Amino acid sequence: MNGAQHILQAFHHHNIETVFGYPGGCIMPLYDALVDDVGVEHVLCRHEQGCALAADGYARASGKLGVCIATSGPGATNLITGVANAYQDSIPMLVITGQVPSALIGTDAFQETDVLGMTLGIVKHSYLIETADELPGILEEAIELAQIGRPGPVWIDIPKDVLLTETTAAPTRSTAQPQATSPDLSSAITLLRDARKPLLYSGGGISLAHAEDSFREFTKCSELPAVVTLKGIGNAGKHSAHNLGMLGMHGSRAANRAVDECDLLLVIGARLDDRATGKLDGFAPNARTIHIDADAAEFNKLRNVDVAVRGDLNSILNELTKSLTDAPLAISDWRKQCQTWRTTGGFQAADNEEPLAPITGPAFISQLSRTAPDDTIIACDVGQHQMWVAQHYQFDRPRHHLTSGGLGTMGFGLPAAIGAQFANRNSTVINVTGDGSFMMNAQELATIRRYNLPVKLIIMDNQCLGMVRQQQELFYNNRESHINLDDNPDFVAMARAFDIPALKIDRTDQVRRGIETILAYNGPMLLHVAIAREENVWPIVKPGGSNKEMIDETRRTAADQKEKTA
Amino acid sequence: MNTESSCKTPSYNITCKMSHEAAALERLCQVVRVRGFRIAKMAVETTDGALQIALTIQGARPVGMLQSQLEKLHTVAEVKLAALAEAAASRIA
Repeated sequence: MNGAQHILQAFHHHNIETVFGYPGGCIMPLYDALVDDVGVEHVLCRHEQGCALAADGYARASGKLGVCIATSGPGATNLITGVANAYQDSIPMLVITGQVPSALIGTDAFQETDVLGMTLGIVKHSYLIETADELPGILEEAIELAQIGRPGPVWIDIPKDVLLTETTAAPTRSTAQPQATSPDLSSAITLLRDARKPLLYSGGGISLAHAEDSFREFTKCSELPAVVTLKGIGNAGKHSAHNLGMLGMHGSRAANRAVDECDLLLVIGARLDDRATGKLDGFAPNARTIHIDADAAEFNKLRNVDVAVRGDLNSILNELTKSLTDAPLAISDWRKQCQTWRTTGGFQAADNEEPLAPITGPAFISQLSRTAPDDTIIACDVGQHQMWVAQHYQFDRPRHHLTSGGLGTMGFGLPAAIGAQFANRNSTVINVTGDGSFMMNAQELATIRRYNLPVKLIIMDNQCLGMVRQQQELFYNNRESHINLDDNPDFVAMARAFDIPALKIDRTDQVRRGIETILAYNGPMLLHVAIAREENVWPIVKPGGSNKEMIDETRRTAADQKEKTA
Repeated sequence: MNTESSCKTPSYNITCKMSHEAAALERLCQVVRVRGFRIAKMAVETTDGALQIALTIQGARPVGMLQSQLEKLHTVAEVKLAALAEAAASRIA
C-alpha cells in the first residue's frame, strides 16, 4: 500500500465514514485512492473553509471525529479559519493536507506554504510527515490524540511523494496518554456541603466528554441552581426546574444575579471565558470556586480556585452524584431565591398581537422553538441572531445547539449544518443565520443541492451587521461605521439559482406559516425573514464591564428619555 | 529591548525536555510568546533524540500558567521551573 491507501485504511480502522474535502495538486494521490474506496463517503464542499466547518459541525452533532482534507498552499490556508474555530471550541478534528514533494519543500515551489509553521497556534498537535514508514503510526496517534482528554484539531501535512510511496510499516500503538479517572473529590464535596448558596456553572466540556447523561443525573440528584455558558446550553435539558439559563454578556438577569450572589461556584467543563464572566474583578465576588475540567491548564488561568479537579467528567459526575444520594444538600432557601429570580429575570419574548407588525428576532425564535421537532439541530452563525437563539430557543440536548463560541466565526452556520445533516440523516437541521454571516459561506448552497440535504435555512435579515451596529449605537455614540448591508442580493432569487426553493416573510402574521412551510418541505428550503434594522439584543453588558451592570431595553429607554429632557 | 521595563519584569529559568521533531522549538517558543513571556536566553542540546532546552524568560503573568501550557504540548516530556532568577533581567538588559 502507498501512503494514500494507508490513510484510507486508518479511516476504516477507526470507523470514519464521512470526510469533507476539496482536491488539488499535492493531495491528488489520496483522491486517486478514493476512486477505489467505497467505504468512505467524501463530501465535496465548494471552499476549503466550508470543508473544515462542515467537519466541525459533523463532530459537534455526532460526538465523533470530524475529518477534512485539502491540498497544499491555498487549500491549506483556506482551512485555517475552520481549524481555529475547532481549536477554540475543543472540537475533535483530523486535518489532512497535501504538501509539495519533500525535495521541493523550502524552495518556494508552486502552492507551497509552511503549513506546519503557520498553524502552530491553532492545533492541539501537528505533524509534517518525513517518510512513508512513519505515516501509519502517526495516523494512529493523531486520530487518538484529537479525541482524548480535551479534544482538538490535529493536523497532518503530507508531502506528495510520501502519499505515493509504498510502505509495509504497520500502525504502532499510540503514545497518547489517557487521563487518570479517579481523582480525589473529598475537598470538593466538603466545600459543596459547607456552602449555603452553591451554583452550578457548566459549559461545553459536558458534551465534549460525552457526559450529558451523568450531568443530568447529577443535576437531578443535587437540585443545584444552575447557569450555563453559550456552549453549555442544553446541558440541563429544557425541562430542568433549576436552570437559570445562559450567563454573561447577553445572559439572563437571573443567571448573572445568581452568580453575583452565590457563595460557591461549581464550575464543570467550562473555562471561565471573558464573554461569560465579564470583568473578572466583579465576577462572583463572594464565591469560593471548585473547578472540574479535563484540562489542568484551565485551573487558575483567569480566576484562582479553591479546589481543582482534573479528570474524566463522566466518572467525576458519577462520584459526585453518589456522594449526594443519601444526604441531599440543605439549600432550600437558596433554591427558592433562584426560582424567584428565574421567574422575574429569565428571557421573555413578547408575542406581537398586531398581525401586520414587523417581525422581531426573539418572537420569531420562540415560535421556531415551539414549532420545530424535538430532535432539531440548530446551527447558528454569529451575531444578533446567534444570541436570540441562545436566549429564546429551548434546547433539550447540547448537541442540538451548534454555535461558534470561542472564535465567533461568521460563516460557521451553513457548513456546520451540512456536517450535522450528514451526521444525523433523519434529523431536522436548521441553519439560523444573519444576512452578514450567510454571505460568508453562501457557496455551500451548492453542496446542499448536490447532496440533496434537507437542511432548512433561515436568514434573519436586518440589512446590516446588527451586533456591530448595536455596539456602535450603545458604546460608540451611535457613530455607525461600515455596517450597512442594504445592498444585499435578493436572497430568495439567490437560493433559487441554486435550485433551492425559498420564500420571504416580513410580517408577524406570516411567521408561523413560514416556519411550518419550510419544516414540512421534503428537501432544502430557505426562509428569508426581514426584521427591523434597529432591533437590539437585550440585555447586554458593555464589553469589559461587569455582569452586574447589565443594560436592558427598559433602562436604555429611560436613559434616552433622561438625556432628551436634560 | 526596553531596558527599564525589562528590569522590572520578573524573570524565570525553565528547563524543558521534548521530542526532537519538526517545528519542536517553534512550537515551544510560540507558546511562550502567546502566553505573555519573552525569551531572554535559550540553550538547546540534543540527547538521544530528545531536545533539552534551558530558557530564561521574562513576563509579568504567573509563570505557573505558562508551565501548564507547556506541559500540555504533546511532544513535551517534562517542564521544570527553577527558582526565580533574581536580577537576571538586569543582567540581560
